Order: sequence, then C-alpha cells, then structure tokens
Amino acid sequence: MAAELRLMIPTKESIEIDDRQLVRTIREGDAEAFEMLVRRKTSKVYSLCYRIIGNAEDAKDISQLVFIKLWENLEKYDAAYAFDTWLYRMVTNVAIDFMRNKHSRDNAINSNLRLVKTSTDAEQGVVVQRKEIESVFHAVSSVLSPKQKTIFVMSEMDDLRSSEIARILGCRESTVRNHLFNARKLMQQQLKKRFPEYSRLWEEKQ
Amino acid sequence: MINCQTFRANIQSRDADVLEHLHKCDACLEYAVSVDPDNFFRAIGGEELVPPGGIDAFASDVMSQLRVREAEAPAAKRFLVAPRRLAAAAAIIVAIGGSWFGYERANRPVAAPVIAAVRKQPLTTKPVVETYQSQNATIVEMPSQGGSDANVVMIFDDALPADL
Repeated sequence: MAAELRLMIPTKESIEIDDRQLVRTIREGDAEAFEMLVRRKTSKVYSLCYRIIGNAEDAKDISQLVFIKLWENLEKYDAAYAFDTWLYRMVTNVAIDFMRNKHSRDNAINSNLRLVKTSTDAEQGVVVQRKEIESVFHAVSSVLSPKQKTIFVMSEMDDLRSSEIARILGCRESTVRNHLFNARKLMQQQLKKRFPEYSRLWEEKQ
Repeated sequence: MINCQTFRANIQSRDADVLEHLHKCDACLEYAVSVDPDNFFRAIGGEELVPPGGIDAFASDVMSQLRVREAEAPAAKRFLVAPRRLAAAAAIIVAIGGSWFGYERANRPVAAPVIAAVRKQPLTTKPVVETYQSQNATIVEMPSQGGSDANVVMIFDDALPADL
C-alpha cells in the first residue's frame, strides 16, 4: 500500500513531463489545454512578476502579457529543456522590458515619504516585522536596475541557483553573481539611508 | 514543516524545508536574521501569490484576450495581403506600359518633321554692334586671319541684352 501511495505522489520530474505533454497538446490546437496551463502556472508567473515589479495591478497585466506571448511563441519551445526555465525566461524578459519603460514618479514620492517616516524610528530596537519586509524591499530595490532586481528576486526569494538563473537569462554564471553582489551592496546603502534600524542588522554582523 | 529546533540547528542550510520554515515561522524570523542578515529579504519568498480577482478570473481574461487576438489576426492578414497584391499589379502595369511606350517611341518617325519645322523658320539677322562702352564688361578680341576677316570680339557683361 505504501509503495502504491508513493507512486501517486507527483515528483518534480513527472510534473515536468506533464507540462511537456500539455504543450504538445496545445500545439495540436487544443485551447482548453492552454487554459489548463494558464491555471497551473498563474501563481508562479504572477508571484515572480509581483516581486520584480512591486505593484499588484501591473504584475497582473504583465502576467497576462506573458501568457499571450507564451501562446504566440509556443512553437519555439524546445522540449529538450525544462518548460519552467523557458517560462521564467519569458517572464523575466517581459518584466525587465516593462521596468525599463516605466519610470514611476509614484515610487519615488512614496520612497521619500517612507524615508521621513522611518528615520525617526532609528533609535528604537530592531524588531523585524514580516509584513514590513516586503515594503522595505520594494522601497530599497527601486535603485536597482531591472536586471539586478530580477536576479535578486530569483536568487533570494525563489531560491534559484546562479546556474539556473544564468540559464534563464541566457548569460554567464559570473554575470549573475556580479549582479547579485552589486544588488546587495546597493540595497544595503539604501537601507542605511532610508531604514537605518534595519541597516544595523548588517552592521552588527560585520 | 520542520520544527523550530531543527530549523535553528540547520539555519545555514538552504534546503527547501529550512526555507519553508523561514517563510512561515514568525518566531524564528528574528533569530534567522540575527544569524544571517541576508535572511531578511529571503523571508519574503515562499508563498505563491494569486492575482487580484483570483486564478479563474485571470485565466478567463487571458483566454478572452487570446480569442480577440485570434479574431483580429485573419483580418490583419487580409490587410497585409492586399498591399502585396496591389504592388504586384502595379509592377505588371508599369512593365507593360513601359514596354509599350518604348516600342511606340522606337517606331515613331520623329526626326524628319522636327528638322523641317526648324528649316521653315525665316532667317533673321542679329544687330551688329560697332561700338560698345562699359565700365564692368570684359572684352576679348580674337586675332583675325587676314585683312578680309571680320574682327571677332567677345563681350562679357551682365548689363548686355539677352537676345544680342
């Protein structure tokens, strides 16, 4: 019985095979199979978009654009590679393009407001609030280039290895590590300026 | 999910279990950040987010956008084909017209009537300038061959009448 149960648990490999089968069915013209793929991948795509872009509505629009591009370019997918790698590449390309084209004034204004508010709390003890971390991240990561931010999100939040990120972005592993190093450095500088209470975490460590 | 004790014992590891605990346990968050400040931003990941309105609404939005695009695509293709056909037709017309025009020109007896027309014009004599005085003119005198030859003088002057 135990052996039978173990067989029914989907492994990463079996899900991957399912993705490929689904893609094959979609290529044969099955729109319902595509809808199934959209439902399956929505959370993954939206989460990555949201963490890179930092705005729910924009992330939703970009996620929809990703799926439309996916439909239009599905013929180009090479089944020799993992489907998720190809999907991530599409997400990062679309999100990076969006970030490059958008210079939101709102972000700058919000960041400045946060700077005024939080610097008054600098003398208080460090209490890490989970709900605050995300807004701190969006504030300090605004100084990163779209590529730096994308790499940081994939590495730190999606826990992807440098080699995987390099494969997704089509660059060298050393480039990924460089971007990551610079992203951390820039974010620490921003933390020191805008959120000194959190910046002290790194200073104490050194 | 692993318990807090196991998490704290394996905090340096980047195993999925350890990360899952970091993403979910508020009690261990502060400890994790004090051990490694990079855990501060690492704590954001974990849960998969859902777009506003939910997955069903999102998926049906995507599918309806695709249907609209699919409906627009053949129309767009028709508009793309029409200029190509027009260009081809224009090229054929130009080719036929050009060759007909060339043929017509080659076989048209144009030279004789033109010459005749020129010959029919009455000969007129231009006035002879015997003396010319000017402050700005450049006057060039051509050497004559003999006593019977007329003296040829070239006058360059902006004030000179054009028909002279």
